[in-house]
Amino acid sequence: MSTAVMSELSGATVEPARSWTPSRVVAGAGLAVLVAFAVVGPLVLADPHAQDLARFLEPPSLAEPLGRDDYGRSVVSRLAHATRLSLVLGAVCVLTALVLGTATGILAGWVGGWVDAVLRGLSEAFVAIPALLVVLLVSAMAPEGSLLTLYVGLALVQWVEYFRVVRARAALVLGTPAVEAAGLLRLGRWHVLRRHLWPELRPVLLTLASLGMVTSILAMSTLGFVKVGLQPPRAELGLMTTEAFPFYDAAPWLALAPVSVLFLLTACLLGLRPKEVAR
Amino acid sequence: MTTLDIHHVRVTHRGTPLVEVSDLSLEAGRAFTIVGESGSGKSLLAHAVMGTLAAGLAVEGAMSLDGRRIDLADPGNRRALWGRELALLPQEPASALDPTMRVGAQVAEGMLEQTPRRERLALAEAALAGVGLAGRGRDYPHTLSGGMAQRVTYAAATIGGARVLLLDEPSKGLDRRAVDQLGDLLDRHLADGGLLLTITHDLRLASRLGGTVAVMREAAIIESGPVDRVLGDPQADYTRRLVGADPARWDRPWQRAGVVPERSAPPLVVATDVGKSYGDAVVLDAVSLEVGAGERVALVGPSGSGKTTLGNALLRLVPVDRGTVTHAAELSGGRVQKLYQDPALSFPAHVPLGAGIGDVARRHGVDPGRVDELLVAMGLAPELMQRRPGQVSGGELQRIAVVRAMLPAPALVFADEATSRLDLLTQELTVDCLMTELAARDCALLMITHDEALAEAVADRRIALGKAGSREKTAVPS
Amino acid sequence: MGLVSAVSGNRLPGVLVRRAAQGVGVALVVSALCFVVVRALPGDAAYRIAAGRYGYDLVDAAAADAVRAELGLDRPAWQQYAEWVLALFRLDLGESLVTSRPVVDELGLYLVGTLQLSVLALALAALIGGGLGVVAARRPDGAVDRLVTGWIAAVRALPPFLLGLLLVLLLSIQLGWLPAVGHEGAASIVLPALTLGIGLSGLFARVTRDAVVEVRRSDYVRFAATKGLSGRVVLLRHVLRNTGVVLVPYLGVQAVTLVEGVVVVESLFAWPGLGHALVHAVFWRDVPVLQASALVLALLVVALNTLVDVTVLWLDPRPRGRRAVA
Repeated sequence: MSTAVMSELSGATVEPARSWTPSRVVAGAGLAVLVAFAVVGPLVLADPHAQDLARFLEPPSLAEPLGRDDYGRSVVSRLAHATRLSLVLGAVCVLTALVLGTATGILAGWVGGWVDAVLRGLSEAFVAIPALLVVLLVSAMAPEGSLLTLYVGLALVQWVEYFRVVRARAALVLGTPAVEAAGLLRLGRWHVLRRHLWPELRPVLLTLASLGMVTSILAMSTLGFVKVGLQPPRAELGLMTTEAFPFYDAAPWLALAPVSVLFLLTACLLGLRPKEVAR
Repeated sequence: MTTLDIHHVRVTHRGTPLVEVSDLSLEAGRAFTIVGESGSGKSLLAHAVMGTLAAGLAVEGAMSLDGRRIDLADPGNRRALWGRELALLPQEPASALDPTMRVGAQVAEGMLEQTPRRERLALAEAALAGVGLAGRGRDYPHTLSGGMAQRVTYAAATIGGARVLLLDEPSKGLDRRAVDQLGDLLDRHLADGGLLLTITHDLRLASRLGGTVAVMREAAIIESGPVDRVLGDPQADYTRRLVGADPARWDRPWQRAGVVPERSAPPLVVATDVGKSYGDAVVLDAVSLEVGAGERVALVGPSGSGKTTLGNALLRLVPVDRGTVTHAAELSGGRVQKLYQDPALSFPAHVPLGAGIGDVARRHGVDPGRVDELLVAMGLAPELMQRRPGQVSGGELQRIAVVRAMLPAPALVFADEATSRLDLLTQELTVDCLMTELAARDCALLMITHDEALAEAVADRRIALGKAGSREKTAVPS
Repeated sequence: MGLVSAVSGNRLPGVLVRRAAQGVGVALVVSALCFVVVRALPGDAAYRIAAGRYGYDLVDAAAADAVRAELGLDRPAWQQYAEWVLALFRLDLGESLVTSRPVVDELGLYLVGTLQLSVLALALAALIGGGLGVVAARRPDGAVDRLVTGWIAAVRALPPFLLGLLLVLLLSIQLGWLPAVGHEGAASIVLPALTLGIGLSGLFARVTRDAVVEVRRSDYVRFAATKGLSGRVVLLRHVLRNTGVVLVPYLGVQAVTLVEGVVVVESLFAWPGLGHALVHAVFWRDVPVLQASALVLALLVVALNTLVDVTVLWLDPRPRGRRAVA
């Protein structure tokens, strides 16, 4: 009898194939469409700030698939710009946090000693502070609607998560017999990094990154919604939702457009995560 | 008198037969033991009787308990018998106990609900005392050793009065002393008129229990009869090989029974007055020893005696609190290697084996052709190199670990219980491969084992560690 | 099994010391952030505060100067910060720059509001999420399990402010069952609590489901069954307790999400709590209220985590980070 059958019999979960499940394919396709919209839209569509008060709350038509808002601005164009803003800012925040958190996490796990102690102390304090709080505080210091403060706030909040996860995993991996054996075989740090740490960290980082994108995008729009983030007339998903809310009865498409994009973005990003391996 | 007869059991998985056994008869007071390698289907047979097979396995057949006929295809019909007439001692006793509950309460649970709680707890204390654990009822499972946990599960499984006791690999992971204590309990169960069906790969346990033994291979029973006859004078070829795999019966060219070559070279490792503690627990207390070039040393002792800690200290993998460990110059540059108890953990989990071995070969300037030669010499197909560690069997992986350890041309190999998780036949093959290579290079061996016979077969001298982590005896030539 | 290193004895003091240290760290990080915020305040804070007090139409340079002198905003920043930290030790949080009332007084009121909301929301989340999780775990990959998975995904992808808007539209505007905003009568807490509770229920459901599935598969639950225990006894005595051991630590993780939700939901529903106060303080640059409310919210997370740690100690007798010695 093969070992595969045995492990199945003993009730052990077999590692799921790293293939593209149908739900991941759908999520990937959806995200691709949204990205294409965000990249191509702003290039071909009208100026999102061009007002035309004569066309106040114009309903959707062929020329304007999503109609016009209370200033007579093109909603589809504003939506494209808002989507691009969300994706770009989210990606930049996640990338910064990922690089910073992973580097410090591996450093702390490997070097140990006081470096580890200092970094861990800092992360202990940061992890208890809700992300939104830090972003709120940081965004309070800048002139209204500064992208830079939003970026700094979001990245500052998120590096901790990467740091904590990477440090914990790295310490675990570095303590395994496999790494001990690599040391006895004199294989060097590059081998440990490439063969032991990276394969172990890659799926976790991918999951964290897609979650981080969601966090960034939602935090951005939430701040816009409570009016302390980016300021009008910038096209931003949360702001657009707030601005459209008074007209939900007269012009439901106005609120529906940013809300659906937001929902689709988060749903696709969440759906794209690799299934966490059991354990 | 209680009897249990099992008729025509057939367990299949998607049409593939995993167990096909025609008739077995268990009598009260006489042990029935099924031996065989892992994958032979022997555990499935026990679970088919108990009614605890994993979903997805189809069972046919029947059994009769005291004349009552029970259809094995329906797993639900035995639930009412559990604890009252049928009991199962699980494979891993430590994980079979609820970590958040005191052991006394877990034993008491095995009794009928009607009994008052206070009375049940008192009976549970008595049952624990009966297995040598008097006064431990208020302890939590994590404070028990593996042997103690097993005796707790024994008390919990039998307190409901079940006459039929099934055991699934009871000696797994236990040292000799714990297995002997279990043997005493099982003897008592038999003497009280109980029925016993034991599944094990441990022939010594089978002999200890006596009664009838059946040898199982590839889903079927190939030989059965009284223990003394089957294991003393095996008829089937497979049984003969199985019996011959006992280290006490080995006869190999690399063995040097008692004839230890004289050496003048300075020792490879010298440890002087080594001490080590974890928290308040003293693990090593002033241990001194030397390992010479080409020498084969075995560290033996019960669980918890600090064998692994001492081995790691000798390799300088763990820092010592007191004393010194010095290595000779020959050991620098990767010429000390280690084999692990669980080979799967000693390879990077997500990397094909070939890539990892390739890294080692490149680092130590070994020709790739030489790697293939070594693989072939160990009876391994080179295709295995494309798989990941989880995709090859434990025996194959341990031999791949041997290949890997040979690449830096080691002067000392430390084998930490390297074959304790393997079947007897696989152990024989693995040790043979390792020792043939070591003998060819005159490489020294430091081995840790709780198996005295294995230590005797392999080592030039044995060092026994006592309970307190100090050396009990020094240099006992074998 | 080998020896278990002696981490024995009472483990409670260790946990409390660790959490207290974390609390101090949190206070330092938050106040340092606030300090930077004060230093970098854009425009003229005094002007803005004056506007908050008198309205934009009535503010002129003289009014702003008066505010500046009155509040000591013209002194060096480090003086203001040192003063604030010292005051913090005396539990004197200063006065609101906008309303001129002691921050402590206002904070007490807000804290009560936030706690009411949080407790109700957590109870709802536990009820909805825990219930769904247990039901889903009965048959993994069954129809119910798939439905619950869908619920979890939908809730996760819906930010609290959208969820709140949807609920307002549905329950308040369309059906007219509940008041949308404000703090009048018991019914006004229902919508904000429901918004928060539904938002939190997703993760609750997932963790409960996974924990129950894992515990049910464990060796000790199977062994308990073969001891002859009925399914109900196994569930009550072994499954639930061990699920708690896995589930409770997640509540600590949830604390951060809860506080974030509090900020958003309170702003959305104009619920008088710390989050509402914080957002207002950011908008009006009311530094004492901003610092104090941020601090209390952050410390709330630490307090919740302390509670979680103590509960885990009580549920799980095993020492953490034990080391087996072979």
